[in-house]
Amino acid sequence: MFRISLKSILGRKARLVLTSLAVILGTAFLSGTSIFSATLDRTFNNLFQDVFANIDGYVRSTEVVEGDFGLIERQRIPSELVDKVRAVPGVADAVPDIQAFARIIGKDGKPIGSEGAGPPTFGSVAVEFKGALWTIADGKFPIGPNEVALDESSAKKAGYIVGDTVKIVAQAGSREFKMVGIASYGDVRSPGGATFALFDVPTAAEFLGKPGYVDAILVVGDGSRTDEALAEDIDNIFDPASKIETLTGAEITKETQDEIGQALSFFSIFLTIFSVIALGVGSFVIYNVFSISAAQRQRENALLRALGASRSQVTRSMLIESVVVGLFGSTVGFIGGMGISKLLGVALPALGIDLPSGGLVVTQSAIITTILVGLIVTVLSAILPARRAGKVPPLAAMRATALETNTTSKKQLFIGLGFIAAGIAIVAAVVGGADTNLLGFGIVGVFVGTIVTGPNIARPVALFLGRPAAALRGVTGSMARQNAARNPKRTSRTSSPVLIGVALVTAVSALAASINGQISDIFTEQFKGDYAISTSAQGFGGLSPNLAVDISEIPGVKNATGIGTALAKIDGKGRTLTVISPDTIEGNYDIGLINAEYKSLDKDGIFISQSLAERDDLKVGSVIPVTLGDAVTRDLTVRALYEFDDLAGNRVISRKTFAGTTVSSFDFGVYVNLEDGADSTKVRASLQKAVDEYGQGKLLSRDEYIDEQAGQVNQLLGLIYGLLVLSVLIAIVGIIITLLLSVFERQRELGLLRAVGMTRTQVRTTVRWESVITSLLGAVTGIILGIGLGWVIVFALKDQGLTSFQIPIGTTIFIMVMSFLVGIIAAIYPAWRATKVDILSALNTN
Amino acid sequence: MTSPTLTVAASTHNAKKIYGKDDSAVYALNDVSVDFYSGQFTAIMGPSGSGKSTLMHCIAGLDELTEGSAIIDGEDLSKMSDKHLTELRRVKIGFIFQSFNLVPTLTADENIRLPLLLGNSKGNEEWIQRVINTVHLQDRLTHRPSELSGGQQQRVAVARALASEPRIIFADEPTGNLDSTTGGEILSFMRMAVDELDQTIVMVTHDPVAASYADRIIFLADGKIAGEMTEPTPEKVLDRMKSLGN
Repeated sequence: MFRISLKSILGRKARLVLTSLAVILGTAFLSGTSIFSATLDRTFNNLFQDVFANIDGYVRSTEVVEGDFGLIERQRIPSELVDKVRAVPGVADAVPDIQAFARIIGKDGKPIGSEGAGPPTFGSVAVEFKGALWTIADGKFPIGPNEVALDESSAKKAGYIVGDTVKIVAQAGSREFKMVGIASYGDVRSPGGATFALFDVPTAAEFLGKPGYVDAILVVGDGSRTDEALAEDIDNIFDPASKIETLTGAEITKETQDEIGQALSFFSIFLTIFSVIALGVGSFVIYNVFSISAAQRQRENALLRALGASRSQVTRSMLIESVVVGLFGSTVGFIGGMGISKLLGVALPALGIDLPSGGLVVTQSAIITTILVGLIVTVLSAILPARRAGKVPPLAAMRATALETNTTSKKQLFIGLGFIAAGIAIVAAVVGGADTNLLGFGIVGVFVGTIVTGPNIARPVALFLGRPAAALRGVTGSMARQNAARNPKRTSRTSSPVLIGVALVTAVSALAASINGQISDIFTEQFKGDYAISTSAQGFGGLSPNLAVDISEIPGVKNATGIGTALAKIDGKGRTLTVISPDTIEGNYDIGLINAEYKSLDKDGIFISQSLAERDDLKVGSVIPVTLGDAVTRDLTVRALYEFDDLAGNRVISRKTFAGTTVSSFDFGVYVNLEDGADSTKVRASLQKAVDEYGQGKLLSRDEYIDEQAGQVNQLLGLIYGLLVLSVLIAIVGIIITLLLSVFERQRELGLLRAVGMTRTQVRTTVRWESVITSLLGAVTGIILGIGLGWVIVFALKDQGLTSFQIPIGTTIFIMVMSFLVGIIAAIYPAWRATKVDILSALNTN
Repeated sequence: MTSPTLTVAASTHNAKKIYGKDDSAVYALNDVSVDFYSGQFTAIMGPSGSGKSTLMHCIAGLDELTEGSAIIDGEDLSKMSDKHLTELRRVKIGFIFQSFNLVPTLTADENIRLPLLLGNSKGNEEWIQRVINTVHLQDRLTHRPSELSGGQQQRVAVARALASEPRIIFADEPTGNLDSTTGGEILSFMRMAVDELDQTIVMVTHDPVAASYADRIIFLADGKIAGEMTEPTPEKVLDRMKSLGN
């Protein structure tokens, strides 16, 4: 029996390739993403290994303030410690390191590197030092307050050469420097696509951070003792209360690698989700192909049964085939995955996400996982069709026609409807107040139900969707319509990938549209000014606080206020505070203060949101101890409560609270109010000039700003497009395979049609419309499910402040058009094959 | 034997169909010249492998001759493009095959009108109704092939072949899959189509009884014409077939 099944596989290579295609696609994504993650991981690991190669010790503060979203701010240390460390026996040399936000402005006045998205932009220190992170490739090290060196790739990108004047923006504002050198990091031109502006220590401390303070001290030993012993000796010179620690070179390397690894792991989880979806959807295609192939081989299997093969032998023979297909498919898929990984490496930089380059890392475990997963998915998908194949009665061998049963089962319909009803009931219960976590079960119930009832829905819906084709295309359209409906099981299975993809995309779009609408409402309510200067840099860096001050001076400007964030520790937990300027915020920005004035927010005060007050039982006059980035704990008194916490969060402090300390704070927005009767065109020009001087941020009118803020959700669009591309690919492959098998199955019919006068063009039209109807069937069901799913997600996020649900009309239309195109594209090859059917041999086949 | 009043509906001249090359060349048709006359029911007979089906396929524009020409209604098929040939089959030729004659997704009525529908033509409604009545399908028109018996399916096929008023109808073993009673019924309908509706039919068969419904029989053996017969009876045909070494 084993030999028979092997022979049967090899005898039909075309079918083997077709079946494998679905496996290949799914596993290619899986292996592609895992190879890509591994490659990224190793590239970064190597980079930091290189960079810290000569560092034996690393001295820094242990004081860390953690904010939301994993942001951390480590306390700086006084620069006089450098000399003390250098004096420790065994230390050959020690230099300070500073790394903070700085942005290089290009010759065209635009900052280099993308704002917000993409690698960060840094300012740092470059000095002559044995363990130096930076070496000078051209020119010299920067010395004094007017000199800068740039990393090699930034210099190249901006077209700067040694001797040029370069404008740099940092926390202290924007300044011009003379570029004296081009620097390399380890042996790469720039680490991970980040940009670096490099200064000497005093300049860096003053311009990037706080004078007299540094981030860390890099230590090189003289070789007289181990790194561990050296670290211990250095630690011993510090007062234990000073909260300073010394790491060995190996430790800081490992820590940095781990941090990057963690940042990347988010990325790989994201990619893995994609490949799981790909594989899940692909399994529908695999299942479908095995079902069709079992049906087409019904007579062959019946003959085997008649000749004495047992049920289980027939079933086993199909399972053996699935093993071969699974192995073959996942092996090819793995090779394809290497290609995908390469593609990702090329595509991401094109999207503005710069990555260091390096050879592909193909681990043994990636190979094993891919092949194992591919094999398991394939065999699991083949079990049901294989069992059905075994059940074929030997008599079927004698029947003239042996086709897949076209009857849809009532039982299946009821089971499916049961799932849908249960799913809806759960959702309804949650809406009525049950635990939100149950929503997942509701969603799964509705999805499973829809797929189970698929064959029952497929016929009426396909017939309905096919009406325009029949009306427009006459008999060819009408045949396409009937073909799409003639085998509802097959049609529904073929359209399932489209359904799932479309449902996901629609749901995410609905979510995006809802968030978009909500944000726009919030900003319309809270932003009262005429202009805003916005930056998309979030969390790291932003607008210099001096920008708002400069803009206030412009004639025609009534006032300008900057709003920023600061990290703080409250009750041992990291929090992000909103920082405002109480003197200028009035009339520009409204957080909905309750019976109070902004001016009441003084140096020792804090505003808290009404919801926080209720939650923590706080009121005006309560005292909250707040530890800011300088590690100093201040007791702040609640001066007032406010209403709008969607943007301001739960806590608002004044800029004055930390004026003159090492706490760093950037503005994420500057809001501008004009004098009554000011010439807005003229003022806008002056505003633009001021913004250009800082080389950062975008000047936007009120409406533009609101649109832009709402549009930030469009980052979700990346996800949508990823899902879209993925589902489109799989859907196309699925439809191609089914159509090819159908064309093969209908050879005689096609031969007959050609004989009685159907032209090749008409044959193509028929196949094409059948494909379009199948694709649209999936799209329509998917859109309905997706909108429902989107609504459920939005509902689940009610607690996060999302209140309005919006149907993504644009996306829905786009999806319908796309599915139409998917149908047409998928039909190209099968339609061509259909026209190649040889009339005579088709008519003579029995 | 050729009556001067008859017009030629289709013909071949020195038709050769050769498979393979040189030593291994097989002559499916070896220099066949034959005329088929309008308004006649002609049968092509011969043992298996005699080339009878090949001859029919080549005249009907389903297959190409290696040498020589096949002419329908004055048009030389060998000079036609695929598109032109398809149109010719749709407009000038009707087909009845042994089995699988109908498109399973279309109703009997749609199947009958299929060549017309494919050509976006309405056809002659009066004629179509007459054809439908002749084969007694009036009350089966909305049924799909799976709901029809084998005999009914072949009747639909006959009606389809007639519906577009073709110049000539080719039938390839039209009764091969039917029992003798149903087969006889179909052959009677074909006879009626010639006698009452003035149609031209060329039928390939190996059944002497079926052939006896024809006006004229062309015998083929080893790719060559081996004689012909008019006013056949089953017995005469059987004798002739025996002499051909069937």
